[in-house]
Amino acid sequence: MIEVIDLCKVYSMGKVSVDALQGVTLSIKKGEFVGIMGASGSGKSTLLHMIGLLDKPTSGKILIGGEDISTLSDHKKTLFRLKRLGYVFQDYALMPELTVEENVYLTSMVRGTSENEYLSQTKEILTRIGLAERSDALQSELSGGQQQRVSIARAVVNRPEILFADEPCANLDTVSSQNILDLFRKINHELHQTIVMVSHEEWHMEYFDRVIILRDGRVISDGPPVIRDHCIIRSPE
Amino acid sequence: MSLQHLKVSFFLAVRGLLRGSRGSLYLSILIIAMVFTNMIFMSSIIMGAIKNSEQSIIEYQTGNILVGPKENEQYIEDISGLLDKLNRIPGVIRASAHYSLGATLKNEGNRVGGTVIAVKPDDERMVTGTWKKMIEGEYLSDGETGEVIIGIQTSGHKDENDDMGPTLGYVRTGDPVTIEYTNGVTREYRVKGIFETRSYQADMEIFVTWNEMESVLGHPITDSTGVIIRTSPDLPEAQVKQTILRFGVQEEVKTWQDLLEEAFGRAIESFSIINSVTVIVSLVIAIVVLFIVIMIKTLNNRRQIGVLKALGVDKSIIINNYLFQVLLLTAAGTILGICIVEGMVGLLTVFPIVFPDGDVTPYVTPGDLISNTILLFIAAAIAGYIPAWRVASEDIMTAMRS
Ligand SMILES: Nc1ncnc2c1ncn2[C@@H]1O[C@H](COP(=O)(O)OP(=O)(O)OP(=O)(O)O)[C@@H](O)[C@H]1O
Ligand SMILES: [Mg+2]
Repeated sequence: MIEVIDLCKVYSMGKVSVDALQGVTLSIKKGEFVGIMGASGSGKSTLLHMIGLLDKPTSGKILIGGEDISTLSDHKKTLFRLKRLGYVFQDYALMPELTVEENVYLTSMVRGTSENEYLSQTKEILTRIGLAERSDALQSELSGGQQQRVSIARAVVNRPEILFADEPCANLDTVSSQNILDLFRKINHELHQTIVMVSHEEWHMEYFDRVIILRDGRVISDGPPVIRDHCIIRSPE
Repeated sequence: MSLQHLKVSFFLAVRGLLRGSRGSLYLSILIIAMVFTNMIFMSSIIMGAIKNSEQSIIEYQTGNILVGPKENEQYIEDISGLLDKLNRIPGVIRASAHYSLGATLKNEGNRVGGTVIAVKPDDERMVTGTWKKMIEGEYLSDGETGEVIIGIQTSGHKDENDDMGPTLGYVRTGDPVTIEYTNGVTREYRVKGIFETRSYQADMEIFVTWNEMESVLGHPITDSTGVIIRTSPDLPEAQVKQTILRFGVQEEVKTWQDLLEEAFGRAIESFSIINSVTVIVSLVIAIVVLFIVIMIKTLNNRRQIGVLKALGVDKSIIINNYLFQVLLLTAAGTILGICIVEGMVGLLTVFPIVFPDGDVTPYVTPGDLISNTILLFIAAAIAGYIPAWRVASEDIMTAMRS
């Protein structure tokens, strides 16, 4: 599904440059629920942005479904994201002027799905996440956990090939976080949804099928979740 | 750009306006309405003043068409032959001959120089409306002698502050007035009536009858200093003028438009410059205001715009969203602006602005409203597109990090 080969990313700001990724190679299979973990600044978000087509790598290759995405034009990338990828952000990133259901079906409108179809899809997904009653609410009327569930509904309503999530629980309390992670696992199981999630909370590990740990822009461990030495995951304050 | 994309842009625009800040929504609409009013109002007042003086000149001074002596001549000869000819021409309602003679008017130590115009009252009534504007006394009658009627700017107002030049010092009907004509004849008159047309030029005039002038000159008058003509309202003056020329009239024939072009051509040219400047300044204000409104909106929404792009929403959808917002604001502002303009026109029709040349009401044509609306929409589209394009063209990660 996803092949990442010797991926490097250098951020340069004037004379200073940061090697955020230094030769990452990995592959992710269809239907996997992969956690990307590591200390703050280890390059997790950077990696996610590259494979999510939100940013361009400095060198290396990314293949999604066998397609080399570096060859795509900006317009093709936009269409690729619209039709094949889904995103959940740390701060939910809902449109404040849209209601819950409008937020969910916005990208379906862009894709040209018929109104009947996207309305019923939206209804179905909102029922699944338990927010059917709040479909006319605005973002400002929802709790953080509810907002994040709407954002997940928005990401999966189009059945993307890959769902990306960058620290979706970072702004939530433990109970809400558990609900959200349960929801991700449910989506992974029931819909066979491929999910790539960045997290630095050690206890999230138990939800993942597989954990990739980064340090200083390199993969230092890749395999099924096991309880590891704390210092690997926590930032070395 | 598919229809589907435009639909999404419109959807986002409507939601953005209705669920965004109410205060900035109303303020933007109000500002656009004010800009629209500004574009139209000043020029409508000037147009109103121009229309007004045109009407006064036609109604009280020149009629629709003026026939004057041939070049280098002082008089039109064989006036009765000319009048017979003119009155038979289709489109001519009536022609009225004038005979003017310079004079000085005196009353109790006040002296006013002027021109006394002799008319045949029955003809003159059919050409000008001065007879309807008698504020006291009566208009002249055919055949009478020894009577004079005077405009209020010559007779003088009760309150001399209302006088705009030298006057006879508030003479009234029945008062004696001495007229010394430039041919040496001096006559005593009783004022038969005073008229006020509210047009300064017309209100300075002094009229006597044709018979009176014959007695002043001491012989029957067979020539004239000018003929004024009332034409049928259904025919353009220029067409009637052509007919008159085709009937073999040798004298100089001018429509009121010809006369105005000579007198006011420059003024109208300067007016259109003033008008263009007003419109351009208003448009620049509109562009700047809308530019700022949309720039603030887009800068505030940078992260949202980044998110939309991340989700795969095309840049053109995002730009058109703001473009639609601007156009909807402009539509609402223009509608409010038209209401304000029409309201002011209504108010100023009931309570006109008092100008020296009469009461002025603003003159707004649907053409003005349409052309200014189109200009405003073009300005708005430019003002909305640029900031929207700038923010929408930003790199996704840069926008999302903001
Ligand atoms: N836009 C940028 N410009 C410059 N440096 C950047 C930029 N984004 C990230 N970096 C740097 O790249 C490195 C990796 O950053 P990244 O955001 O990928 O880390 P992370 O693992 O997601 O950390 P966190 O857990 O804090 O989110 C860091 O040293 C960071 O300072
Ligand atoms: Mg991060």
